Amino acid sequence: MNLSGILVVAQSESQAQVVAALNALEGVEVHQVDETTGRIVAVQEAEDIHAEIEGVKRIKAIPHVIMAEMVYHYLAEDERIYEAMPPELVEQQDGFETCAVPAYLNS
Amino acid sequence: MGLSRRDFLKNSVAGATAATVGLPLSKQAEAAVKAGEAGWQWDKGVCRFCGTGCGIMIATEGGRIVATKGDPDAPVNKGLNCIKGYFNGKINYGKDRLTQPLLRMTDGKFDKKGKFHPVSWEQAIDIMEEKMRWAMKEKGPHGISIFGSGQYTIHEGYVAAKLMKAGFRSNNIDPNARHCMASAVVAFMQTFGIDEPQNNYDDIEYTDTAVLWGANMAEMHPILWSRITNRRLTHDKMKVVNLTTYGNMSSDIADLEIIFSPSSDLAIQNFIAREIVKRDAIDHDFVNKHTVFATGPYDIGYGFRPKNVEKFASADEMEIYKNEKVHVIDKYEAIAQRKKEGEAVEQKNTGTAMKDWSISFEDFKTALEPYTLDFVAEVAKGDPDEPMDQFKAKLQTLADLYCEKGRKIMSFWTMGFNQHQRGSWVNEQAYTNHLLTGRQAAPGNGAFSLTGQPSACGTAREVGTFAHRLPADMVVMNPKHRAHTEEIWKLPAKTINPQMGSHFVKIMRDLEDGSVLFSWTQVNNPWQNTANVNHWIKAARDMNNFIVVADAYPGVSAKVADLILPAAMINEKWGAYGNAERRTQVWRQQILPPGQARADIWMMLELSKRFKLKEVWGEQPIPGLKAEGFADGKLPSVIDEAVKMGYSPESTLYDVLFATPENKKYKWPDPIAHGHGNHVCDLLKDGWFPEKALFEEYRKFGMGHGHDLAPFDVYHDDKVRGLKWPVVEKDGKWVETAWRNNEKYDPYVKPGSGFDFYGNNGQKMISGDLDKSGDPDKKMDISGKAKIYFRPYASPVEKPDANYDLWLCTGRVLEHWHSGTMTRRVPELHRAVPSAVCWINTKDAAAKGLKRNDLVWVESRRGKVKVRLETGGRNRVPRGLVYVPWFDEGVLINKVTLDTTCPLSKETDYKKCAVKIYKA
Repeated sequence: MNLSGILVVAQSESQAQVVAALNALEGVEVHQVDETTGRIVAVQEAEDIHAEIEGVKRIKAIPHVIMAEMVYHYLAEDERIYEAMPPELVEQQDGFETCAVPAYLNS
Repeated sequence: MGLSRRDFLKNSVAGATAATVGLPLSKQAEAAVKAGEAGWQWDKGVCRFCGTGCGIMIATEGGRIVATKGDPDAPVNKGLNCIKGYFNGKINYGKDRLTQPLLRMTDGKFDKKGKFHPVSWEQAIDIMEEKMRWAMKEKGPHGISIFGSGQYTIHEGYVAAKLMKAGFRSNNIDPNARHCMASAVVAFMQTFGIDEPQNNYDDIEYTDTAVLWGANMAEMHPILWSRITNRRLTHDKMKVVNLTTYGNMSSDIADLEIIFSPSSDLAIQNFIAREIVKRDAIDHDFVNKHTVFATGPYDIGYGFRPKNVEKFASADEMEIYKNEKVHVIDKYEAIAQRKKEGEAVEQKNTGTAMKDWSISFEDFKTALEPYTLDFVAEVAKGDPDEPMDQFKAKLQTLADLYCEKGRKIMSFWTMGFNQHQRGSWVNEQAYTNHLLTGRQAAPGNGAFSLTGQPSACGTAREVGTFAHRLPADMVVMNPKHRAHTEEIWKLPAKTINPQMGSHFVKIMRDLEDGSVLFSWTQVNNPWQNTANVNHWIKAARDMNNFIVVADAYPGVSAKVADLILPAAMINEKWGAYGNAERRTQVWRQQILPPGQARADIWMMLELSKRFKLKEVWGEQPIPGLKAEGFADGKLPSVIDEAVKMGYSPESTLYDVLFATPENKKYKWPDPIAHGHGNHVCDLLKDGWFPEKALFEEYRKFGMGHGHDLAPFDVYHDDKVRGLKWPVVEKDGKWVETAWRNNEKYDPYVKPGSGFDFYGNNGQKMISGDLDKSGDPDKKMDISGKAKIYFRPYASPVEKPDANYDLWLCTGRVLEHWHSGTMTRRVPELHRAVPSAVCWINTKDAAAKGLKRNDLVWVESRRGKVKVRLETGGRNRVPRGLVYVPWFDEGVLINKVTLDTTCPLSKETDYKKCAVKIYKA
């Protein structure tokens, strides 16, 4: 699970519309709105980094959004995310655990 | 994880985000943040990755980093982070961290052909000592070498440079920054006589125009890009121009995208200069008062191995390497350099490429005359499918911007300019157009060289970890600079070797031809990052030499090493970096390195205990040495002089260079630590604080001549977020300098001058005409002036032909940094871009019967790699060019690239060589 805090800046006259659009997105919650500066704090929950980046792209594509940037990240520990490591790196991990010398180095 | 826990986390993430960007917090949010962060200790830090130098806040709990966030008080990033910066806290925790020294052994003994086995630190340093002694006995001080880094902390770079130059009397230390900004340095030194930009990042908020020259800032400098984007959206006059060899993410908000052919930026710059002159958009007052026109030789070669290249090169390689001796002028060069097509030009100035002389304004105008719109458009149009009229209109619009009176312009560049066979020239041309129009060193106006590494400026350049440099812009070839350095370092006269050492690529060539026998890699990955790497892998594995690689993770370089040293990473040690806007920033040790991993500084200090003065300061052979005051081919013994200074021949380098009585006055523990540890002090156990002592010693070099730094403790003040040098004490406060050379901001500028390019004070120049320098005895003083260079267009040395029909350009992607040793250990980043792909134009792919996702070979005269094709996504390459990022060791693209360098800067051109592509 990836939790990211995202700063969204909207054109002030369209702020309500942008907030509604954000809340309609899956995994996105608006937590705070500053009417004077048009700034919105949203929190996005995403399965993985692809979803996280795609999620920010979705936000950037909302009409009247001037800018959307990830600001804060919660470092959740999740062992499953190592599953997608490429073979040469997985091999290094295996070697590392058994003999303290990454197998890759001796291949 | 339960629902309530998840909601709680979301509330605290929202609160922390709001706090970071300076939004007032609701009471609830504040409570959530506090509860979520209970037990966390926050401290300021610096991002590990690029040269932007973003401030980050790091939270630790129980000896681990638990969170990071953009530092809201950091003026560089104002609380924002890019995707890499965002994951700073995770780079230390890859599963395959190296945690103990590993040596190639058979039956318990070192064996170059053996497998890696764990050894103790004691054994590791024993074998290093033995092999260094052997290398120096065989070849003298230049038989050993260090591959240093633009990612060194300031302290590490300083220790490495001092150990090599003062201790071992070897100048064979050169950083990977050679691959990254050496061309920028040459241009700064030649143009202004002092390194690094006059301007700073705040110029983005003052300017009307951002011109990107071969710098894809949207991917490579995302935080600065967010500032440009913001300016573009909030300032009506703001224009963004993206000059590039392929369409990329920076084009998305650009008003003007110019796709040019490789190396034709040289021609485009001269077209702009010609238009400025033709339309009289010159700031005459500025030019008359503050500049001098200059040029230099054209026949400078391509930075290939200068002698005996045929002994090491294949016949295919020789087709290109032969240009180092004689180059045949092509049809564009004939016009651009006022020569004849087909003329064979002997390259007479390969060793004297830095030579320059002043010329008249009339000569300058004459030189620009061939660079008409028609000519330059023909040379430069980079997309064969773009109509010529449209391309010409774009060039015209670009020139209009530079010629518009009152328009503020910032030009930005990084690797597109620097990694260029004429990289120093093209950097200088950028200054030419800014100086001609008086747009330099003022808010919103400047040509600004961005950097790619976090301390390319702060360490590699300012400390001087190059083969020719000493701290504060001094060089080993200059007797006054050596004497000044010997005085600060308390060395006998003539200790420092006056012969320039080997630059990065040359150290590789030295390993190949056996002139260097020992090499120590620190904080970088030379066997992944050096072009034409098949040669260097073979040199490391097959020659009788000893390769030491200190690293945090096992990369390609570790694999080719004989000895691997497990290194501590950022936040596991005290450190300081200097970013591209002259801002020096510091951090404390936050966590301990894992296992037996240790800071590079400790490795060097420990090794320095093994060598006594009598072994290294006696007479030493330096093949080829010729310098005034030195016998040919050798360094004198300085031991007698050392004894007179109170040293003993039995003193170790540790005692003489590092743990000196003066340095030992800086005690550990120190209240500035605020309770943070220092594993280096814990291991040394002799009660001093090396990082602080050595920083204070290093400061002496910059004081009083425009390179001033503040004391160590000032940077560690909780309120300080780095300071831009020169930092000068005024009324008891340490004051930074926002714009150098500008009287309003820079205390070093002569009062009443307005602008003062004081870096050239005392410099004298020969005059001449476009083709040659004049009377060497007639020199003019150029104190206070910057140089406006004419530099001609020169074609790339290797161009696509019938067999190798495509340009290859290499570079980075947003998610990964450099060779991926760190970012590929962050699962989120790894999954985002697991491996490198080859971007190709759909039409080129179709013509070869290939499609997206096909596995292909990319092959050049030097080597080949297998990679998947990509026809969509973030990059839009024109027909005739492919782009492959270099972060992926599984797609070792530097097997394919060409080891041509700018002959002035010795920086490799990774942006253009010829390849073919076929189905694997």
